[in-house]
Amino acid sequence: MGRRIFKVLRFALTAACFVATSCATQQSNVAQQSSVGRGAPDPLQVDVIVGSEGKGMFTGAGVPPDNMPIFAARDGATPPGVEPLPTDIFSTKDFYKDRSLWSDNRYYRCNSPVGLEQIWGAYEVPLIGDDPPRTAAWGFCDRDYPRKEIVSPYAFSTAKDHYAALLKEARDRGGPTVYTQATLPNWSGRYLRQRAKTATWFHGAALQVPTYISLLTPEYQKRFVQQMYHYSGSNAAQWPGSYCWPEGFMRRFAQYGGARVNLVMTPELILDIRNAAKTLTTQIHIGREFNEEGVVPRLGPDVPQWFGETIGFWDGEALITWTSNIQGWISHGGFEFSNKLQSIEIYTPRKDAGGRLIGLKTEVVLYDPEAFVEPLRIVQNLDRLTDVTEPFPIMECIPQSFPVDGHTTPMSPGQTFQYTVPDIFGRPWAQIWERHHEKGMARPKEPRNRFGL
Amino acid sequence: MYDLNKTYVMTGVVVRVDPNPNHLQIFFAPLNDARTQVLRDNKNEPVVWALEMEPAAVVARDRITVNNFPRGTILSVGLHPLRNGLPAGGRGKNGLFKCPADTPPTPGKHCDSVKGSTSHGHGVLSKPTGPVPPPKTK
Repeated sequence: MGRRIFKVLRFALTAACFVATSCATQQSNVAQQSSVGRGAPDPLQVDVIVGSEGKGMFTGAGVPPDNMPIFAARDGATPPGVEPLPTDIFSTKDFYKDRSLWSDNRYYRCNSPVGLEQIWGAYEVPLIGDDPPRTAAWGFCDRDYPRKEIVSPYAFSTAKDHYAALLKEARDRGGPTVYTQATLPNWSGRYLRQRAKTATWFHGAALQVPTYISLLTPEYQKRFVQQMYHYSGSNAAQWPGSYCWPEGFMRRFAQYGGARVNLVMTPELILDIRNAAKTLTTQIHIGREFNEEGVVPRLGPDVPQWFGETIGFWDGEALITWTSNIQGWISHGGFEFSNKLQSIEIYTPRKDAGGRLIGLKTEVVLYDPEAFVEPLRIVQNLDRLTDVTEPFPIMECIPQSFPVDGHTTPMSPGQTFQYTVPDIFGRPWAQIWERHHEKGMARPKEPRNRFGL
Repeated sequence: MYDLNKTYVMTGVVVRVDPNPNHLQIFFAPLNDARTQVLRDNKNEPVVWALEMEPAAVVARDRITVNNFPRGTILSVGLHPLRNGLPAGGRGKNGLFKCPADTPPTPGKHCDSVKGSTSHGHGVLSKPTGPVPPPKTK
């Protein structure tokens, strides 16, 4: 495979602004280095979202007093110049039969993935209207995020090749860098990831659903549209954290889940600890090598791990990691991923003019040949928190909500109800949808073995 | 919980492996004596037994893993059943054999009789203390 060399120089991105989407100046680092596998220009930063969004650009819990919802039309109106489809994800009787419409923005009323997720009020301000499905809000059909800013800019098809190339670069420079505790970059401490809806495409607010599903293989497209339908058409969201199910690897990058980060640094082992409904811990083993004899590279026994297993090395001030042996799962509002998911993550320091550490940048390249049609990239910034003194809480999730008749339902101590034990390793969210909310739909049959299983 | 005085030897088809760190579980549907079909309940749903084992990392040493026991794998195992008659058991120190892919044993036999089968810890299949009764319904 040929490798493109990225000359990482500061420049303004002038192309690739889709239709009416407003574009901000590209925020590239001024890294004066060449690399085949890191430091490509940052993805496009936009300053508007697709919508609809009941809380506008506000991030966090609660509704601000000057709340300004974002939508193109609501309460049964249609955006000017847009011809609605006769059937869409809000009104369909069977989204499986609509596959030919899945790539049409109008099928989702031009809502972003998060636009659909929030439309019944999951984030406190519903935009579904008084007479759904007729009154469900529209997002802006003329806004989107360029697909080419989502896919990896690097020419690798596997995490293994990507990691090897970065390691070779480090070796060519006389590395990898070996630190002692005294010389180790002083990154230990607390960080808050930038959570703006526009901070990354992975937050799900800046792109149309068809752009999102263009990244996925047919099976994972189906799964994603299924998820979108159950946010919009059936209003039966199944968020793993609601039930204290595992949060999964990709939750580390979600807008809210995993945004608070605690780093603990030693020369041999670095802990990247994040909090969602549970504590998400990545153990970065410096200088280790994977056992590559199995289905996927791993460090320990042949047992998939919820956050995978991670090796890494230093190239100067860049910490480069490779994570494999990840348990396939979902991050709600995002794609499902398989046990073949692997990531290359590059942590680099962000400093002020005086050279003081103000945060970290993480560049994440994701490889999953089962779920993605090509590798994807997420770039996120972590802001260092200097005024935090309380201990980092370890989250032990206690179930308070349960699936009752196919809906997430808070239950009080002493209540008794009928419960179907989920098959956790068989897409339990989808089991609930299929049992309760897809009756009569022509769901594609799963292949069965000779015993009908 | 499990009746260590009873040992059933069962042959069935893997429905799911749950690689739980404290106790790996294999959910399997027992085959009929003819080894042609899985047993089904009065709603024609497969009867599924839960087989509890040691931690996932421990049994991985015996190549009992998600990757090595995908759905549809045919296995034979000795287990100690639940005292309450529900369809679950603990493996204890009983042998476990995997049949070659898509190759069930001949009628009445187990995977250890099939050429090409593999053993996954604790040696031979145990001698059963009796036949497997129909499981209680929950």
